[in-house]
Amino acid sequence: MATQTKPQSATDRSTAFKWSMVIDLDRCTGCEACVVACQSENNVPINEESAFIEGRAFEWIRLERYWEGEWPDIKARFIPVLCQHCENAPCEPVCPVYATYHNNEGLNVQVYNRCVGTRYCGANCPYHARQFNFWEPVWPEDLRHQLNPDVTVRTRGVMEKCSMCVQRIRRATRSKTPSDIPDGAFNPACVQACPTSAMTFGNLNNPESKVSKLQNDERRYHVFEHLGTAPTTLYLKQVDTHGA
Amino acid sequence: MAHEEHAIPQVPTHQEVASDIMARFQNVNQRYWSWVSLLALLFVGGIVGFVMRLSDGFDDRSNWGYYTATLSFLASTFLAMPIISAGLRLAKANWRRPLTRLTENMAITGVLIWFMLIPALIALPPTEGRLSVWFDFPHWMAFRGGNLMVWGTVVLIGLFLLWLLAVPDLAAVRDHMPASPRGKLARVLSVGWTGNTRQWRVLHSGALLFGAFYLLLYPTLQTLLQADFQAGLLPGMKDAIAPATALINALQGAVGLTLVVMYVMRRFGGYERYFGIDQFWALSKPLLAFSLLWFYFWWGSFITFWYGRQPGESELIRFMVLDSYRYPLMVSFMLNFIGPLVALVWNPVRRSIWGPTIVGAGVLVGALVNHIRWYVAPFSVPDPPAGEAWPHVLPEIPAGQLPGAADALIVVGGIAGAVLLFMLINKIIPVVSMWEVGEGLRLVKVRRFLARYAMVIAKSH
Amino acid sequence: MYYRRTLTEAQINQQLLGTVLTTPLWWIVLVSLLGIVVAGAVGAVGWMINQGLGVTGLRQPVFWGFFITNFIFWVGISHAGVMISAILRLSQAEWRRPMVRAAETMTVFALMASLAMPLVHAGRPWRIFYWVFPYDWARGIWPDVRSPLVWDPIAITTYLTSSMLFVYTALIPDLAIIRDRSTGWRRSVYGVLSLGWHGNPRQWKIQGFAGILLSALILPVFVSVHSIVSWDFSVSLVPSWHVTIFAPYFVIGAVHSGVSAVVTLMIIMRKLYKLENFIWEEHIDALARLLMVVALAWMFLFWLDLVFALWLREEQEITVWMLRMFEPPWSWLFFLFFMFSFVIPVPLWMFRRVRRSFTWMLWTSLLVNFGMFLERFLIIVPALMRKGPQTFTYATYRPSPVEFTIIFGTIALVCFLLLIFSKFFPLIPLWEEKEGQLLIDHVKVGNVYVPALVKEH
Repeated sequence: MATQTKPQSATDRSTAFKWSMVIDLDRCTGCEACVVACQSENNVPINEESAFIEGRAFEWIRLERYWEGEWPDIKARFIPVLCQHCENAPCEPVCPVYATYHNNEGLNVQVYNRCVGTRYCGANCPYHARQFNFWEPVWPEDLRHQLNPDVTVRTRGVMEKCSMCVQRIRRATRSKTPSDIPDGAFNPACVQACPTSAMTFGNLNNPESKVSKLQNDERRYHVFEHLGTAPTTLYLKQVDTHGA
Repeated sequence: MAHEEHAIPQVPTHQEVASDIMARFQNVNQRYWSWVSLLALLFVGGIVGFVMRLSDGFDDRSNWGYYTATLSFLASTFLAMPIISAGLRLAKANWRRPLTRLTENMAITGVLIWFMLIPALIALPPTEGRLSVWFDFPHWMAFRGGNLMVWGTVVLIGLFLLWLLAVPDLAAVRDHMPASPRGKLARVLSVGWTGNTRQWRVLHSGALLFGAFYLLLYPTLQTLLQADFQAGLLPGMKDAIAPATALINALQGAVGLTLVVMYVMRRFGGYERYFGIDQFWALSKPLLAFSLLWFYFWWGSFITFWYGRQPGESELIRFMVLDSYRYPLMVSFMLNFIGPLVALVWNPVRRSIWGPTIVGAGVLVGALVNHIRWYVAPFSVPDPPAGEAWPHVLPEIPAGQLPGAADALIVVGGIAGAVLLFMLINKIIPVVSMWEVGEGLRLVKVRRFLARYAMVIAKSH
Repeated sequence: MYYRRTLTEAQINQQLLGTVLTTPLWWIVLVSLLGIVVAGAVGAVGWMINQGLGVTGLRQPVFWGFFITNFIFWVGISHAGVMISAILRLSQAEWRRPMVRAAETMTVFALMASLAMPLVHAGRPWRIFYWVFPYDWARGIWPDVRSPLVWDPIAITTYLTSSMLFVYTALIPDLAIIRDRSTGWRRSVYGVLSLGWHGNPRQWKIQGFAGILLSALILPVFVSVHSIVSWDFSVSLVPSWHVTIFAPYFVIGAVHSGVSAVVTLMIIMRKLYKLENFIWEEHIDALARLLMVVALAWMFLFWLDLVFALWLREEQEITVWMLRMFEPPWSWLFFLFFMFSFVIPVPLWMFRRVRRSFTWMLWTSLLVNFGMFLERFLIIVPALMRKGPQTFTYATYRPSPVEFTIIFGTIALVCFLLLIFSKFFPLIPLWEEKEGQLLIDHVKVGNVYVPALVKEH
């Protein structure tokens, strides 16, 4: 079950954690292991065929695939998109019931049992990172044993999105200080599952962590930087070595 | 109201009113000439300031900020006056009759304003590399020609309305003082008016039609003013409400100016019987409404920019609202919104001569300060380095620009010039409309109604 | 001319109270039919709450659709009441008299219909109480006042409360008349409701003062309600929503839509209740002229919206407008909206014969409201469909039968409530009509007798 901390300003440095993720698109092969891992870790509802037909299938992290160029020079470009945990999150001030707020560890947090489902946060998210339970999620009997007991099972009518596996963060950091937790000691499910280590997760407040070092990479960029949302998720551009 | 309950209200005949107005029109006394001389002096001072700026050239646009602010203040306050008369005539409000002529006469200031437009247009940078409503059209044809045409048309329609609605009175001047130079001028201008039914019908239809044109075209003028002289110079400025805000502010200023002019005419011109409590009370209501709308329109743009927290918008808010131009905004906020709201909410204040006048004067000062904020700020944004396109976010926030000596001369001189033109036209066309007031008096009778006397006003459609 | 002095007080009483004192067959039939539609809509809502919002056509990223369109639409219609009663009362326009109560009542019911929409569209409507009610129920957390969705219920309930007060205050003299003409339990109920009204000068003075005070106080509410609703969109980051013009644009659109609805209401009322003596050509003529001015102002603001939307030449903004205007089926809807809201009605209204014809005015006013519903729809859905450049997540929206049922249900609900209201309270204020007739006079100008009005000196 996910626990929440009191809402505090994102710039409050009173705790020592500031979680962030870096995704290297040069290493990403589009295998979608992260998608599967996230689904099983976070009790994300199963997408049956009917969900796809209705357009209501959702994943907390999705691989967006774009075709570039004309045959025979077609390239597939893909980018894993998940909640960017923006520091200037447009989804936060618009929720009427404080179901989403920025906690003091740099995460944009979603409180399921407070959400009434107005979907304003979803309308305001430029990354389409937020998902809504249009139907009551149903798991077949035998799959219920697969559900993660650390994560709430949501009902219909609530919004959900990537939480950076906050349950894993809580489990790892409970009663510990940053010095007790070496960089890479634990990861969200997607980072853990990625076979090419394209995804990196860590504490930005630790200058020695991998994510801190990658912040200055020459391939760095944020998605939709011009919108002023200040996402904490950093992407590293893919470099083409064969022609265009 | 108590003291009026048992008094029988007196309604003058239209002949009495006509001869009274004509007598005032004929009398050009010493006091009038001293006012005209003072205003002419101030206007010459304004020309001196203008020449000072001209000698500095057009390379540094920030020199022309205050000039443009004066231009826009005049275009917004003085040129919006005919809207008051057109609008009230459309609404068939009977209390408008004494004040329509003075609002129409203000259209004469359009002559000065149109010529003032030309240097301001020269000061604007070309449209290449810059976002504007003209979408990269060849620059001199588009925004310079377009502006001159639109402003020119507005001014011309205003002048036409000024003339058309004065024709019956000019005929009266022609008949009353045929030998004098003013009488001769009136003969030419009154184009053989005899006052038959057909002529009256043409006059009324013309007034309605061209009044409607003015009402439709004036918002376009304000749109161009805001688009070209403000939004086009501020990187990242996407403010769709700005022309509507400017229009509302212009109307508020016009109502304020009407009130101030009426008060001055009462105090110094002896026109008390024309500009009475009815006029002030009735105008106080739109003044209050426009003051509330001032805040409403300003808030509409502020909340959108501020809440969005987008980079371009945040810079603009810091520039125009929170940092560089904070003090002009606060002054304008008090004089255009808080002051009128707090004062005009009270019945005794609204229903007085002094109340709406003081508020109206405050509104005018606030409007001038607001126009300074609106136009000095964008004019102080420097051009991008040669060859580069204009950025979409303000690269750095200029500090607030205080007026220089030339600027002060221009502001005072511009306003003086407009008032001067108004004073001069009042001695060519009577400042209170004899025919319109007379028409109203013919439609009003005093009758007993229940326990008291009431005015019975005919509604002729 | 609406200054004809044609009816005695007794005739006014008898004709306007006819609807209250008798129950015609058509009323029963209409109320039953509308009741069935309303019941159907309630059933649809129940089904939706039971199954989840999946029964609608909504999907990522189009999270808002028909329900929010309908919400804005009904808030828009509600602006008719204040326009007619308050503004025309303050500007002393005589032709408002037959319309004030019907318009104000339509406002109240339209606001109720509009409040139902955010309740219904939420994912967990049974939890909405926590949202609407400004109290910290649990864990020390109050509603988030930064959210426009918290400003909305505050604004709308304020407007609803003040409108209800307005209707009630203006109703008191008429309630007394009904009290005096009824017996038994009806007499006691109307007696309580009429608050001991006896029509003496002191009471009339208070009544007049209350009317003016309420009119003046309700004006800021009137302007702010739809502006606050429009800021739901303005403060977001969605392209074509994040514009500054929405507040006055929505308010003017609301007046356009609302006054057209009053025209529809007046004409239907006149037909059903046989009110030919009270609702004349002059009334719809005056309404049509008001509509023309409002429509022109609306067109100016629409044009500003479009031009300044394209000003910064942002790609997404242009994409949304291209979708709205050029890609079917949105382009067809856009064409219909533009035709129906402006291009067809406004030029027609320039002709006196059209303005004075009940049939023409009925159809043009209905057309306007159909167009305005489409306008709200076109603001909301295409913008969400093309929110960002990530074409991988592009989707379309098609409203489901459940949504259609609920929309029609709200229309039926408002009509239903109006009919029920007319059973207990007269739709045209008796005292306003009588006051209007008292103020009629004639002035001889030359050889002609010109109708005139008595005004305070």
